[in-house]
Amino acid sequence: MTDDVLIEARGLVKDYPMGDEVYHALRGADLTVRRGEFIAIMGPSGSGKSTLLHLLGCLDTPTSGTYTLAGTPVHSLPPDELAEVRNREIGFIFQMFFLLPRASAVENVELPLIYAKVPPGERRRKAMEALQFLGLETHAAHRPNQLSGGQRQQIAICRALVNKPSLILADEPTGNLDSKTSENIMGQLVRLNRMGNTLILVTHEPDIAAYAPRQVRIRDGRIVSDEVVRKAEGGEP
Amino acid sequence: MTAAIRKEQIYGFWGSVAELVRIALRAILASKMRSFLTVLGIIIGVLSVVAVVSIMQGVFAAFFAEFNSLGADTMFVRPNYEMSRSRVDAVKRLKMTYADALAIKDGAPLVKEVAPFVMRGDTIAYRSQRDTTQIIGTTEPYAPINNLDLESGRFIGPMDVATRRKVCVVGQDILDKLAMPPQCLGEEIQIGRGTYTIVGLLEKKGGSFGQSQDDQIFIPLTAATQQYGQDIANTVFILIQILDPKQTDNAVEQISTVLRRTHGIRFGQQDDFRIFTVEAIKRVIDQFTGISTMVVTAIVCITLVVGGIGIMNIMLVSVTERTREIGIRMAVGAKRVHILYQFLIESVTLSTLGGIVGLFLGVGLSHFVVFVLRKTVSETFPPAYVPFWIVLLSLGFAALTGAVFGVYPAVKASRLDPIDALRYE
Repeated sequence: MTDDVLIEARGLVKDYPMGDEVYHALRGADLTVRRGEFIAIMGPSGSGKSTLLHLLGCLDTPTSGTYTLAGTPVHSLPPDELAEVRNREIGFIFQMFFLLPRASAVENVELPLIYAKVPPGERRRKAMEALQFLGLETHAAHRPNQLSGGQRQQIAICRALVNKPSLILADEPTGNLDSKTSENIMGQLVRLNRMGNTLILVTHEPDIAAYAPRQVRIRDGRIVSDEVVRKAEGGEP
Repeated sequence: MTAAIRKEQIYGFWGSVAELVRIALRAILASKMRSFLTVLGIIIGVLSVVAVVSIMQGVFAAFFAEFNSLGADTMFVRPNYEMSRSRVDAVKRLKMTYADALAIKDGAPLVKEVAPFVMRGDTIAYRSQRDTTQIIGTTEPYAPINNLDLESGRFIGPMDVATRRKVCVVGQDILDKLAMPPQCLGEEIQIGRGTYTIVGLLEKKGGSFGQSQDDQIFIPLTAATQQYGQDIANTVFILIQILDPKQTDNAVEQISTVLRRTHGIRFGQQDDFRIFTVEAIKRVIDQFTGISTMVVTAIVCITLVVGGIGIMNIMLVSVTERTREIGIRMAVGAKRVHILYQFLIESVTLSTLGGIVGLFLGVGLSHFVVFVLRKTVSETFPPAYVPFWIVLLSLGFAALTGAVFGVYPAVKASRLDPIDALRYE
């Protein structure tokens, strides 16, 4: 595990205008994440954890505050440059999987590589490698609706991995899965982390959060606690 | 290394376009019925334009072929049928005779040759074979002015006209119609009530507008007027060849002067004849071609605008339906321009496919219409001709329609916020 800083967020504020009033979704969040860390961000709905995830994932920019990702200040980048950062640095895993329904599994995994302008042959090779990594190569030609929920989420994990991002963001990755499948998925994520991937997991389930060595709690737009509950690489919870 | 970079760059543009076309085709084929209904407007637009233009072009081509056999040094005189009835002197009536032709030959120095002719459909018979054809009564110069060449024998000569000899020159189709051998010279055929001896056989000229030039029989003008009577003798048309095409205006002036004198038209009175120069006829055809091209273009524009609105409508629906997809693509790194191109190329692909379908159906329809016209109206209706420009024009316009009407939905898609798009249910 390396010690250098991947994420440096200072005083992140996000306001949404709601008619005449302003809704303060995030009221100044500070967060530092080193490469190789595995963090769970926890909080009830409406706490601002989704907003924080969107900011960390470069899907949105903060109203104020600074955010440096992999050495690049990204808090005020225009949309297209944010898209490039997402493409290069971030892999997303969503609760609803968010696969393209008309594309096959391998085509779904290839998607980030298309926007990274990787030529087709190389693209297919990398996507197949990612699928093999999770033992899904036999499902490469299947469409999402031919796969189980767990398989779909694993395809999504492959898609998150394929462009070798610095950061993997998982937003309630087990929210739509039964407990056995959830365990499996979390096992995969732990495995990714052990291989050196930086992982940020957003969840409201303590069981799921317990997989992460470091837990950040958020409430009413503020980070209320940030603690390392056990040594990293501490094995199973 | 350099090669690799170049390959990368080439892939960068055309590869992306090919990629986007593939994505577009998948989206289009995913809902075939809807895609078909969406482009129906474009299909019908292109189909009708291609069919109309192909049939028209076929007719034009045949028409031109007919007039191209006439040189720029020829003109044509006929009675002025457009003259209002009340103005025509009841006693004189409209009259044009062989004598007028001879008067022109004598009285207009710029005139080289005159070929008066009369036309009439009649029955023909050879042994037990009967049919109908067009009979043309004329004089010797008709053949050179019309560029008619003989395969065997000779054309109508001066003596035939002078002595009203019952001889005829036949076109190639007549042989088929009457089941005659190619060695037909000297054979006698029945034309109406008269019996004529074949003295010449024309070379094959090929199909032409309406009446094939191969489906005609020529007889001496005098024999025709004798056989068909005074009415025919008084409605002679005159084909004129002048010495110098540059002197067309002066020649028209001379001919006009001669005819006004022989017809006894007083100063200030209207001509009872009309002179058409080949140049003027070609000008009229050009004008007509221009107008019809404009009309066709206008129809194309209207139908494609209608078709385009249909495309825009469905593309807007498609963008809404695929908001989630747009969100996913943006999340994994698609820039606005990627989304813009994706939807733009989808609408262009859709409308171009419509254009291609319309083109094929249009070509098919034009051939079918010609087929029906040949069965019902005229066997020699000219074949449809699909000019290359209409292929380019219709596909180009179809693609353009997709591009123009796809811009708004595509821009709308590209402006979506990734978070909103992902959240969209």
